[in-house]
Amino acid sequence: MPVGDYSIFSVMKEALRGHTGWGPAWRDAEPKPAYDIVIIGGGGHGLATAYYLAKEYKAARIAVVEKGWIGGGNVGRNTTIVRSNYMLPGNIPFYELSMKLWEGLEQDINYNAMVSQRGVLNLYHSDGQRDAFARRGNSMRLHGVDCELLDADAVRKMVPFLDFENARFPVHGGLLQRRGGTVRHDAVAWGYARAADRHGVDIIQNCEVTAFRFENDHVVGIETSRGYIGAGKVGISVAGNSSRVAAMAGMKLPIESHVLQAFVTESIKPFIDGVVTFGAGHFYISQSDKGGLVFGGDLDGYNSYAQRGNMPVVEDVCEGGMALMPRIGRVRLLRSWGRHHGYVDGRQPVHRSHPHQGSLFQWRVVLRRLQGDASGGHVFRASDCTR
Amino acid sequence: MRINCPCCGERGIDEFSYYGDATVTRPDLTSPTAMAEFVAYAFERANIPGPHRELWYHAAGCHLWLVVTRNIATHEILSVESARDVALARNANAKGSA
Amino acid sequence: MAKSTLAAQSAFTDLKTSKHAALTIEVLDDLTMASIASSKGRAEEVKAAIRAAYGVELPTTPERVTGKGIAFIWHGPDQWMAIADRGAGMRDIEVELKPVLAGIAAVVDQSDGRAVVRLSGPRVRDVLAKGVGIDLDPRAFKSNGVAITHASHIGIVLWQVNDAPAYEIAMFRSFADSFATWLTHSAAEFIGH
Ligand SMILES: [Zn+2]
Repeated sequence: MPVGDYSIFSVMKEALRGHTGWGPAWRDAEPKPAYDIVIIGGGGHGLATAYYLAKEYKAARIAVVEKGWIGGGNVGRNTTIVRSNYMLPGNIPFYELSMKLWEGLEQDINYNAMVSQRGVLNLYHSDGQRDAFARRGNSMRLHGVDCELLDADAVRKMVPFLDFENARFPVHGGLLQRRGGTVRHDAVAWGYARAADRHGVDIIQNCEVTAFRFENDHVVGIETSRGYIGAGKVGISVAGNSSRVAAMAGMKLPIESHVLQAFVTESIKPFIDGVVTFGAGHFYISQSDKGGLVFGGDLDGYNSYAQRGNMPVVEDVCEGGMALMPRIGRVRLLRSWGRHHGYVDGRQPVHRSHPHQGSLFQWRVVLRRLQGDASGGHVFRASDCTR
Repeated sequence: MRINCPCCGERGIDEFSYYGDATVTRPDLTSPTAMAEFVAYAFERANIPGPHRELWYHAAGCHLWLVVTRNIATHEILSVESARDVALARNANAKGSA
Repeated sequence: MAKSTLAAQSAFTDLKTSKHAALTIEVLDDLTMASIASSKGRAEEVKAAIRAAYGVELPTTPERVTGKGIAFIWHGPDQWMAIADRGAGMRDIEVELKPVLAGIAAVVDQSDGRAVVRLSGPRVRDVLAKGVGIDLDPRAFKSNGVAITHASHIGIVLWQVNDAPAYEIAMFRSFADSFATWLTHSAAEFIGH
């Protein structure tokens, strides 16, 4: 039974009832014998794909199968940044589509995903880097994307506490995308799950895919830990597990899985409004609504499925932070974690069709980026699953 | 992670640089299917959790190239060999079978 | 010929030899050094030549050997660093070694390429522990032990001179001041600023 709309009235009613009347946000579906479309992977990309498919093809029977639980994978392990401040022709429209979807997302899915367009500021430290950023900014504007090139004074007004006179990386200015910002990552998963469910999508948790079944070179279903599920079409959206799942279908991908660490400090008073990135020092930071500083930096740099990293990168990231904003040195680190991603050369999402005849079997490799969740789902829906 | 360098003993990975899959070998440029072979050599990887043979360079130590076998699901290091020895053995095998 | 007015300058701008109860720092400015890299397949000949000339056995593991007025530091597979005091006679190890190892090894002067500092005293291990990742406990690292490693991201070669304990640390000359900054910060709690 799909859940009802969230509204100011339902919130007020529940407030008076001590919040005892909230039901589950989505059904914990049992697998049916067959679906028109099965999406493997219940992360941000998989759920968004299912949602946009279900919204457009109301008659289609759609399922998402997830080996763990919704919100338990990479979608709960990223650092919440959304942006479309890219330079190359393939990237800008993709992430700008995502940006536009984020902007209308909460109304669209009737869920508070805490979309906060607080601005993403990339710092530059030399004339050469400024020119490169100006070029990127021009490229963005030619694609109709907002951005501003700031000088040091303008950056100082926004974030006065940076080490502007740092000997190695003095802050000369920054490239600012005001429409960029943050989105509450697990609310993205929950919101898309609820919205997909309301359109009749079965979200099947604790259901691990073990094999594909083919007939005449066409996929006809998947074997899972919860039994066989027939499928007209299958999409794969499993981030760092892409190679494993693709291998079950006999495919070798141009991908390696890597670990990227992230960190949260104890909560402190608000002092960083937006997202600040220090590319030259391999460090970026924002502050969550709870007050914790959320930051990260480099990949650990070796193949890994372990979802945890090593100490040298912890040290490196913290050194980057201290170089940029020495005042964070006394804040205590609360926790750190790693997430594993699929990486290709160029480190962008890959959409590919299975070489089997007829393109009936499709897969999508989804990489690191929360900011691509919305457009990833949207584009996957349009370009792959429905062809 | 710590790697037991055959020259220097056990050291933290902060002293080493990672150079990826140690099992691929450069294809023959003159092969009629060289393009496909180079695509596979440069990009295609099994990338399956479990033991993975990979190159590490002791950059901040003795500068030896190593072939490390490491479980990429757990980070456990299973063996460390000199890359030179591995390459010499591979060449000897190739000669022997030719 | 007129005497040159150019004087050798320490690689360390501010770091000076200083003695404290916890830690003694000695800047070793008067060294002559040369790297030895065996030609391919000639390592046994290199060892024989050094044995004949200096009466010592070049180490094949990370160790240091000392002969009369000279030390050889393991510096990687089939590579060593020869070190001696330059002294008033302006000894030059490169000039000395080249004929000994002609045709079997590359010998290159490093005297002004490396900066060397000697650290000794009861707190020296505590000072080094803040930037050096290897275990210098006497059970793990002994006199004449050598490690090629890094200290606070600066590449170093470190060897233990005696059980006092005393260590000598060599680094590329251009890193000397960065190293000194780290060292003085690390040692501050024991010797003050
Ligand atoms: Zn080594």
